[in-house]
Amino acid sequence: MLFQRRSRIDYQFEDRFDILLVGSVFLLVVLGLMAIYSSTLNHPTAGGNFQKQLFSAIISFVVFLIIYFSPQRVINLLPVPSYLFSLIFLVAVLFIGRRVYGSKSWMDFGSIGFQPSEFAKIGLIFLLSYFLSRDKTNIESFKDILIALVISTIPILLILLEPDVGTTFVFVVIVLMLLFWKGISLFKLFIVLSPPVVVLAYMFGTVSFIIALLLVALALFYFKKNLFFSASIFVINLSAGFFFQYVFNILSPHQQKRILTFIDPNMDPLGSGYNAIQAKVAIGSGGFLGKGFMAGHQTQLRFIPEQWTDFIYCVIGEEFGFIGSIITLSLFLVVFLRLLKISSLVKDKNEFHSLVIIGILTLLFFHFIVNVGMTIGIMPVIGLPLPFLSYGGSSLLADMFLIGVAANIYKNRKQYA
Amino acid sequence: MTFSANTDSELRQRIIYFIVVGFICLFSIQLFNMQIFKNEIYNEKSAENSIKGIVQIPLRGVFYDRNYKLLVANKPSFTLLVTPSHYDRKLDKLIENVLGVEPGFIGKILSKNSIYSKYIPIRIQRDVDFKVIAWVEENSEKLPGVSYTVELERAYQDSIKGSHLFGYIKEVGKKQLDEDNYYDMGDFIGYTGIEKTYEKYLRGQKGMKYILVDSKRKEIGRFNGGADDKNSIKGDDLVLTIDEDLQRIAENGFEGKSGALVAIEPKTGEILAFVSAPQYNLNDFTTVTSKDIWSELNNDPSKPLFNRATQSINPPGSTIKIMEAIAALEEGIITPQTTFYCGGGFYFGRFFKCHGGNHGSLNVVHAIEHSCNSFFYQLILKMGLEKWNEYGRKFGFGQKTGIDLSEEKAGILPSAEYYDKRYGKNGWTKGFIVSLGIGQGELSVTPLQLANYVSLVANNGRSFTPHLVKGYLDDNKKLVPFKFPEVDTKISQKTMDIVKEGMFLVVNGSGTATSVRLPDVHVAGKTGTAQNPHGKDHAWFMGFAPYEDPKIAVAAFVENAGFGATWAAPIAKAVIQEYMKKLKISQKNNIQQSEENVISASLKN
Repeated sequence: MLFQRRSRIDYQFEDRFDILLVGSVFLLVVLGLMAIYSSTLNHPTAGGNFQKQLFSAIISFVVFLIIYFSPQRVINLLPVPSYLFSLIFLVAVLFIGRRVYGSKSWMDFGSIGFQPSEFAKIGLIFLLSYFLSRDKTNIESFKDILIALVISTIPILLILLEPDVGTTFVFVVIVLMLLFWKGISLFKLFIVLSPPVVVLAYMFGTVSFIIALLLVALALFYFKKNLFFSASIFVINLSAGFFFQYVFNILSPHQQKRILTFIDPNMDPLGSGYNAIQAKVAIGSGGFLGKGFMAGHQTQLRFIPEQWTDFIYCVIGEEFGFIGSIITLSLFLVVFLRLLKISSLVKDKNEFHSLVIIGILTLLFFHFIVNVGMTIGIMPVIGLPLPFLSYGGSSLLADMFLIGVAANIYKNRKQYA
Repeated sequence: MTFSANTDSELRQRIIYFIVVGFICLFSIQLFNMQIFKNEIYNEKSAENSIKGIVQIPLRGVFYDRNYKLLVANKPSFTLLVTPSHYDRKLDKLIENVLGVEPGFIGKILSKNSIYSKYIPIRIQRDVDFKVIAWVEENSEKLPGVSYTVELERAYQDSIKGSHLFGYIKEVGKKQLDEDNYYDMGDFIGYTGIEKTYEKYLRGQKGMKYILVDSKRKEIGRFNGGADDKNSIKGDDLVLTIDEDLQRIAENGFEGKSGALVAIEPKTGEILAFVSAPQYNLNDFTTVTSKDIWSELNNDPSKPLFNRATQSINPPGSTIKIMEAIAALEEGIITPQTTFYCGGGFYFGRFFKCHGGNHGSLNVVHAIEHSCNSFFYQLILKMGLEKWNEYGRKFGFGQKTGIDLSEEKAGILPSAEYYDKRYGKNGWTKGFIVSLGIGQGELSVTPLQLANYVSLVANNGRSFTPHLVKGYLDDNKKLVPFKFPEVDTKISQKTMDIVKEGMFLVVNGSGTATSVRLPDVHVAGKTGTAQNPHGKDHAWFMGFAPYEDPKIAVAAFVENAGFGATWAAPIAKAVIQEYMKKLKISQKNNIQQSEENVISASLKN
C-alpha cells in the first residue's frame, strides 16, 4: 500500500528537489563561511564570528528542511500572520530596539539579536502576493493598486523611521516587481516607478533632477492621457524630489553621508568613501587567481572595517581572484534563473506561488546587485548584506527560509489542480 | 485572449531574465577590468596600503681635529610625537604643562601639520627631558596617540666653541626640499660652516625598513622578513685641519673682544685655528632653534652669527706693505739698497702723515721694520696702481680664497676700473692711490685673506688654498685626503728673503711688534691698523714662525681696539707659542724615539 502510494507520485529526485537551486545556495553559504573565517580569524573582536555563523547556517538549514518538507497548506497560511507579526516587530523595535550605526534596527532576545526588517520583507512578499493573486483583484483598478500600495507603505514607513534607507529601497523594488509580475500596464507601472526614479535623480543634483522631470513630462505626453491627470502625475513627481529632501534632512548623518558619497566616493576618503575605495583595491589586487585563502593583505590587515558583513565579497575577490569572483557570480546566476524558472512554471497554476517566488527573486537579486555593485565600485555604498555570504544570522535565516519556500513550491508544483 | 496573456507573461519573464543576465555580465566585465586589466594598479595600491617604509636616518659623520681628537659627535635625544588620528585634543593642556611650553603650543603645531595624513606621527618637541619620556611611558594608556622616538643630535665639546667653523645644522626648509629629493620634512641639513660644505659626506645614506601595517597603521610585522630592507649608511667622519689646543687658545684670546684669527700651516694651506668672535652657542642649534634664540642672535649688536674671519672686510693697514715691497723688488722698481726719505710725512696734494716722528732715509727692509708710511707713499706712486693691483691679486686680495666654507667675501682690491666705476673717469686722483700705499682707503680684506697672504709669504710664495678639512675616514678608519688647489705666486726667493728679513726685524729688531718676540724661536710679523671712520681703529697682526722654517702663519684682527701690536699681536703670539711648544714636544718625542731605537739597536749588537 505504502509502496503503491509512493509509486503514484513517483517523481525523480530531481523532480522533487531543485538540486541546482539548493546546491548553488549551499555552495554560496560555504563560500561565505570560508570568507568569514578568513576575515575574522585573527580579528581581536570578531574572532568568534565564524562559529556563530556556522551555528546560524546549521539552524538555517534545519529551517530550510522544515519548510521544504512542510505541506503546502503551511505556505498558503503564511500571508496575513507573517505580515501582522512583522508589523508588530517593526513597531516594537522602534521602542525597544538596539541602535547599531545610527539605526534602531536590532532587537535582542537574550543573547540573540535579530533584525525585524529582515522578516518584514517576508511578510510583505507574502501578503502582497496573496492580495495581488486574489481572484477579485484587478490590477488595472486604481482602488486595488492603492490597496497594494498601502500594504507596502506601512512597513516601508516603519523602516524609514529606524532609519534604514537600504532596506527601504529593497521594499520599494519588491513592490514594483510584484506589480510588474502581476501584469500591471506600462502606464501604471510608470506612475508607480517614476517617483522613485526622480528621487534617485534628485540625489545626483539639480541638473539630473530637471532632466528626470523632463523625461517624465515626455513620457506623459507619449501616454496621451488627459491634461489634468498628466499634470497631477507630474506634480507628484516634482514633490517626490522635495519630499526626498525632507526625508534626507531627518536621516542620520551617517546615512546622509552614505548617500552623498554615492555621488563621489573620493569625497570622504577616510569615511564611507574609504570603504568603497579599499573594497576596490582589495578586489582589484586579487588578480586572476587571487592571493590565496587567508593571504589577502587588504583582508588580513583589516583595511575594510567589518568586512565580514557588507564587504564579504571583497574577501572572495582578493583571496580567490577573478576565478573565485566569477564562480560566485555564476552560482548567483543559477539561483536567480532557477527562481525565475520556478516562478514561470507555476504562474498559470498558482499565481500566489509565482508572485511569492518573484518576490524572493527580487529580494535576493536586489541585495546582490547593490552589495556586489558597491564592492566593485559601480553602486552606492548602501549597507545591504550579500545573501548567503554576509555574516549575520537574521539575514541568513530569512534567506534560507525563502529558499525553503521556493524549494517547497517546486516540490509541489505538479499537485496543482 | 489566453494566448496574448501568455505572451505578455513571457515578455515580462524575458525582461527579468535580461535584467538578471545583464547585471551579471556588467559585473563580470567590471571584475575583469579590475582584476585582470587594472590588476597592477590595484596591486600597487594594496602594497602602498599595507607596506610602510620607515626611513632609517643614518648617523651623521663626526669631526676629528688634526690629531684625531673628537670635536663634534652625536648624542641620542628624545622627541615627543603625537599621532593626530589617535590623539585627544583634551590632552593639550596637560602635555603643554609637562613640557613647560606656552598654552596653544601643541595646537599650533598640529594645525601646521594638518595637511599631512592624520595617521603620521608629528614631532611636537625635540630634545625632550628624559623625565617627560618616563612620564609618557608610565601613562601611555591615558595618553592615546602620544609617543616618542629617539633621534640623534649634535654633541659639542666644552673646551672649544668653533661656531663659525663647524657651523650649525637645521631642519630643512622648503627650498632645500624642492631642490634635493634626498630630504624629507623634519630632516636636518648642514646650514653653515663645515656642516654645510661637507653635507654630502656627513649625511650618509638613508636606509629603509619595510614593515607591514594594518588599517590603523599599526606595525604587525616585517615585510618579506626584512629581505627588502636597506640599511642606512653612516655619514663620513671628517678629519679637520684644526688643532684643538690652538683653537682653544685662540678662542680664549678673544674673550670679550670682537674680531677674528686664522692660523695656517704654510706648507699645506691647512688651517690650524679659525676663530670669529663673538661666537654663538652651537648647543642652541642642536634641536629646532626657538624663535627667541634666533631673534636674540639676529638683534645682537655684536652680530655673533656673522663670520668675521671670512665675511668682515676692512682695510689691512700696514700689513699690505709686504706685498708692495715684494711687487717693487720683483718688478725692479727698487733694489734692496734703494732708499726713500721720510721727514715725518709726505706731501702729495696734501700732507700724508707718517708715525713715530722722522725716519730719515731708509731702505725697504727698514721701511718694513719701522712701517714707514713715507717710504710706501713714494713706492706706490712709483709703482703705479696697475702693478700694485696685479701683485695684490697674486696674494689673493679682491677675490675669494676658495676656503671650504660657503660664507666668504671677496673684499675689494681697487684698480683703475674700480675707481672709474666708483668716482667717474676723472673723479679720482693719484691721491687716492697714496692711501692705498699704507693699506687704507677702499682696499678691504678679510682676516682669512690676510692669513692666506702671510702664509704665502712665509712659504716663499707657494702654498695651497686654505682649508679646514683634511679628508674623511674610510671604512677602515684610514684617512682619504681631499685635494686642494696649489697656489704659486712665482716670486723669486731673493725678493722673499728681503721682505722676510724686514718682517723678522719688526719683531726682533726695533720694529713695531717687539712684544711678540719669543725666547727660543724667531717670530716674523707685521702689524697693521685699519682706520675706522665709525669708531676706534681695528687692529691687525700677521706673522709666522719659526722664521727659518715657518710652521705656522697667523693673522689676527681685533675690532675697535686700536694699535695692532697692542691688541692683535698678543693673541697671535699665544697661538704661535702654543704651537711651537707642541712641535717641540713632538720633536722631542721623535728624538727620544730615535735615541731609544739607537739604544735598543746597540744593545742588540
